[in-house]
Amino acid sequence: MIKAILVFNNHGKSRLQKFYQHYSEDVQQQIIRETFHLVSRRDDNVCSFLEGGTLIGGSDYKLIYRHYATLYFVFCVDSSESELGILDLIQVFVESLDRCFENVCELDLIFHVDKVHHILSEIVMGGMVLETNMNEIVTKFLEQDKLEKSEAGLSAAPAKAAAAIKSIDLPSLPKDLKLPDLPKLPTFR
Amino acid sequence: MPAVSRGDAMRGLAVFISDIRNCKSKEAESKRINKELANIRSKFKGDKTLDGYSKKKYVCKLLFIFLLGHDIDFGHMEAVNLLSSNKYTEKQIGYLFISVLVSSNSDLMKLIIQNIKNDISSPKPVHVNLALHCIANIGSVEMAEAFGSEVPKLLVSAQANESVKQSAALCLLRLFRTMPDSMTYAEWASRVIHLLNDQHMGVVTAAVSLIHSLSQHSPNDYKGCVSLAVSRLSRIVTSTYTDLLDYTYYFVPAPWLSVKLLRLLQCYPVPDEPAIRGRLVECLETILNKCQEPPKSKKVQHSNAKNAVLFEAINLIIHIDSEPNLLVRACNQLGQFLQHRETNLRYLALESMCLLAGSEFSADAVKKHRETVINALKTERDVSVRQRAVDLLYAMCDKTNSEEIVAEMLDYLKIADYAIREEMVLKVAILSEKYASDYTWYVDTILQLIRVAGDYVSEEVWHRVIQIVINRDDAQGYAAKTVFENLQAPACHENMVKVGGYILGEFGNLIAGDSRSSPLVQFNLLHSKFHLCSPATRALLLSTYIKFINLFPEIKPTIQNVLRNNNQLRNADVELQQRALEYSQLSSITSQDVLATVLEEMPPFPERESSILAKLKKKKPASAQALEKDEEKHKKSPASVENHVETKETPPPITNSNSVDLLGLGTPAAAPETNNTNALWDVFGGSPAPEEQVIDVNMSKTEENPGVPAAGSEPPTTAANETQYLTKFLFKNSGVLFENDLLQIGVKCEFKDQYGRVGLFFGNKTPTQLNHFSASVTLTDDQQGKLVVATQKEAPSQIDGGAQVQHFLNMECVSLFSDAPVLRIRYNHQGAPHSVSLKLPVLINKFFEGTDMDATNFFGRWKQLGQPAQECQKIFQAKFPIDASSTKLKLTGFGIACLSGIDPNPENMVGAGIVKTKDLQVGCLLRLEPNQAARMYRLTIRASNGVLSQTLCDLLEDQF
Repeated sequence: MIKAILVFNNHGKSRLQKFYQHYSEDVQQQIIRETFHLVSRRDDNVCSFLEGGTLIGGSDYKLIYRHYATLYFVFCVDSSESELGILDLIQVFVESLDRCFENVCELDLIFHVDKVHHILSEIVMGGMVLETNMNEIVTKFLEQDKLEKSEAGLSAAPAKAAAAIKSIDLPSLPKDLKLPDLPKLPTFR
Repeated sequence: MPAVSRGDAMRGLAVFISDIRNCKSKEAESKRINKELANIRSKFKGDKTLDGYSKKKYVCKLLFIFLLGHDIDFGHMEAVNLLSSNKYTEKQIGYLFISVLVSSNSDLMKLIIQNIKNDISSPKPVHVNLALHCIANIGSVEMAEAFGSEVPKLLVSAQANESVKQSAALCLLRLFRTMPDSMTYAEWASRVIHLLNDQHMGVVTAAVSLIHSLSQHSPNDYKGCVSLAVSRLSRIVTSTYTDLLDYTYYFVPAPWLSVKLLRLLQCYPVPDEPAIRGRLVECLETILNKCQEPPKSKKVQHSNAKNAVLFEAINLIIHIDSEPNLLVRACNQLGQFLQHRETNLRYLALESMCLLAGSEFSADAVKKHRETVINALKTERDVSVRQRAVDLLYAMCDKTNSEEIVAEMLDYLKIADYAIREEMVLKVAILSEKYASDYTWYVDTILQLIRVAGDYVSEEVWHRVIQIVINRDDAQGYAAKTVFENLQAPACHENMVKVGGYILGEFGNLIAGDSRSSPLVQFNLLHSKFHLCSPATRALLLSTYIKFINLFPEIKPTIQNVLRNNNQLRNADVELQQRALEYSQLSSITSQDVLATVLEEMPPFPERESSILAKLKKKKPASAQALEKDEEKHKKSPASVENHVETKETPPPITNSNSVDLLGLGTPAAAPETNNTNALWDVFGGSPAPEEQVIDVNMSKTEENPGVPAAGSEPPTTAANETQYLTKFLFKNSGVLFENDLLQIGVKCEFKDQYGRVGLFFGNKTPTQLNHFSASVTLTDDQQGKLVVATQKEAPSQIDGGAQVQHFLNMECVSLFSDAPVLRIRYNHQGAPHSVSLKLPVLINKFFEGTDMDATNFFGRWKQLGQPAQECQKIFQAKFPIDASSTKLKLTGFGIACLSGIDPNPENMVGAGIVKTKDLQVGCLLRLEPNQAARMYRLTIRASNGVLSQTLCDLLEDQF
């Protein structure tokens, strides 16, 4: 079973946290910090599995992770999961993100936390693997996106307009978005 | 096609996120967040009812703030409100917030459950899916109670669409894990199993996970899944990568599903049916073959997916453990991976090889890779991989390669990562002890261990070396010499001082002849370390000194000076003070004889399980288990090794640093009472059995009994049908043993470990007195020495009319015996002598202790006891109606623990137990397979001792 899925960047800033077992907020933050310390110390060419997190699980648990450009994707799993299988799953997750966001980068994860969660929930549910077929995952996501647009188109127009006016008050909106271009995730053919 | 329109939905959110990202400092960020939280709070509290969109936006902001690591203590209600929105996206955000932020004991749970109820019965599959996800994510008992009956319906319903079925399967799995016992879906079992045949691969993937958990819980209900899983697997592995289209991942057909199927098959024993078995073996061969083919892609994803399947297939091969060909091939394949450039593969190959090392078929193949593994230990850059290499070396160690492996491990220990040192020390200690061919090597190894990794040498390890030295005469001189040399090093570890102090105190005399290690030199050497040591070690050294006084009277004055020094007598440590005072008094007021008696050499330690092994087990259940397997293997092998293994199981930790009783001032038996500070139970290996008056039954009193009729007139012996009486006592411990017109004999027994107590109650059925009554037990030659019987309370020689007298026997089972001892009773009735011989209901099964174990454990052991000599099998007609509950009752009465849920066939009985005797303990496994149709039974017993399996089989034959 997958106990937790964590995504954080090279500085340990959390970009996604999903726990399939209840932990209090404090413990969650501690787990993220600990995992970051364990993972970030490792070279890129060492193996992708490691034991030794103390907060989740104990001896039966492994951290399985992959490092893409600026982001670490860490799955915390128990011994009932195949290590290489989980590595594949991380890849499926990342490729799905890449297809849903078109060349995904860290910023997409920041600005669309909700969507990332929705994509993840198409792949993993309650700690178990739900779907591994990327086409299916992406199709479902696009369906939701379409639904969102149609719903937004109908009734959210006034709200959108209001929001647009409000945003005029913010003096430097364009500058706000001038964020460093983050290296893209490796492209997939 | 632009997949997602970025930024246009929820602009406010994007602005807020940008603001946060522009904050220059932590304070600024907190300020901005607090401002936003205040804003959201006021919006939520405000009189104006918010529309769905705004609610959604604010809830999203809260989610983002939470992600930044801030506590969110409001907004839950608004999120719950979103659930009832009829807009999908609003619902979705509501559910997201709840699954991330609402804990299962929230007071909102009732409301949430109500909303889920609405959605789960919605005609729109997307809504149903949202609801199922939420149930699975929270997965609380409340959820299980509310939806435990609803979800299975969705799973097997004909109308539900695929994605709903998929989600329902995993949702059910989650609920099942929450409340496994109240959710047995026996009535759904066959329909759930048939999901394996579903057209949609996603449904199959989800279903396999569910079935896997369900079959672990109730294997019998789901055993039908084996054949379906095999055929599904076969279809996948034989397909080409174009067949499965979407489910082909980097040219590998459905890797994830294959892995899950292979895992599922590991829950069950190999299928019996030759067709299914053949197909499975074929699949496994195909998977192995595919690895030899040139890769279809150079991408790492291709090799990962392919190897994920391969490693799982290898796990299944190890689980089957009866296909030597496959095992060896698997091992060769892993051997290739050991040198692969991918670290992940090297890691996994080492891990899987550990398992292969435990199988008798592949153990030798694994050993061929010794050098590669040693090399990995030295050159691998990754500590996780090195750790696996240590595990594998440990698993592959045997008599032939132990010296090299131990040497390599010692060598590596010098530079090993701190995290794994302690475990390595334990492993080295265990291996060196287990495979020591001579004890000089063992002593050298342990001392070297203390030298290179003294800090990581736990108490157990140095206790152990002392136990062994004390128990082995041949090692003592060498040990004394070696510790002496080691102590001469300018800086030596405190553990070395402890070992040195203890050993020189006991055996320093053995090297005192050499002028370089004369008594005074020994003493000065030890005393030079004294001031650097902790109080516990100093206390130990004081005991060594008093022992020196006994061993070397010539240095008594020097030592007495030290003992009387104010540093000792007025030491802040009360233990040191007391020892110094008592020892100095002891040395000055007692005579040499008394001193010699008090300070005699320590007696050998009783044999017990190695405490080091126990410690490793605690640390690493898995690897210790591997060793246990190993150990059992050794027990199987004949006497030559036996001796060896025995010593390894020998002594418990002797001393405890806080209460070292070098003196043996109390007798070992008394010590536990006088001194109960720490793990003293361990210190002396448990208290020895209470001494009882053991009389040899051979000298029983019958002969000398007066009044026995003169020779030549052997009294009429009542020929009691011994066996008939005996069989009923196989399964119970009390009842009437014998009865005739004159006498009734009742019996009541109690057994604990190797000890037994038998109470005999003799009742005089006549109105007149029985006199010259005597009862005695005779042992056959075969039983001599195997069973010790002592009379604890003897029946009086007269029994009044109608009276009952008691006679108590104590027994100790020393080793395995096969026949029951005979009780002989003589008495005179109205002047006529009578005599009765009966078998006492004491058979080897009375010294059984049932043990509980799970299926994997059971089958693992079963396989290990696979030698023909260890197994005994009988096939016999049923004597009674075949009835599971009465059979179970009998087996339990027999002493063995009946294990349920282990054998895939519920009719079959399996059991496990340990026969405990003083000399040895023999593990024993039993399987009883009834055949209703033929009214026959097949009984199989496996034990590490073949004689025992035979004896037990004989006893149980024809009893059912």
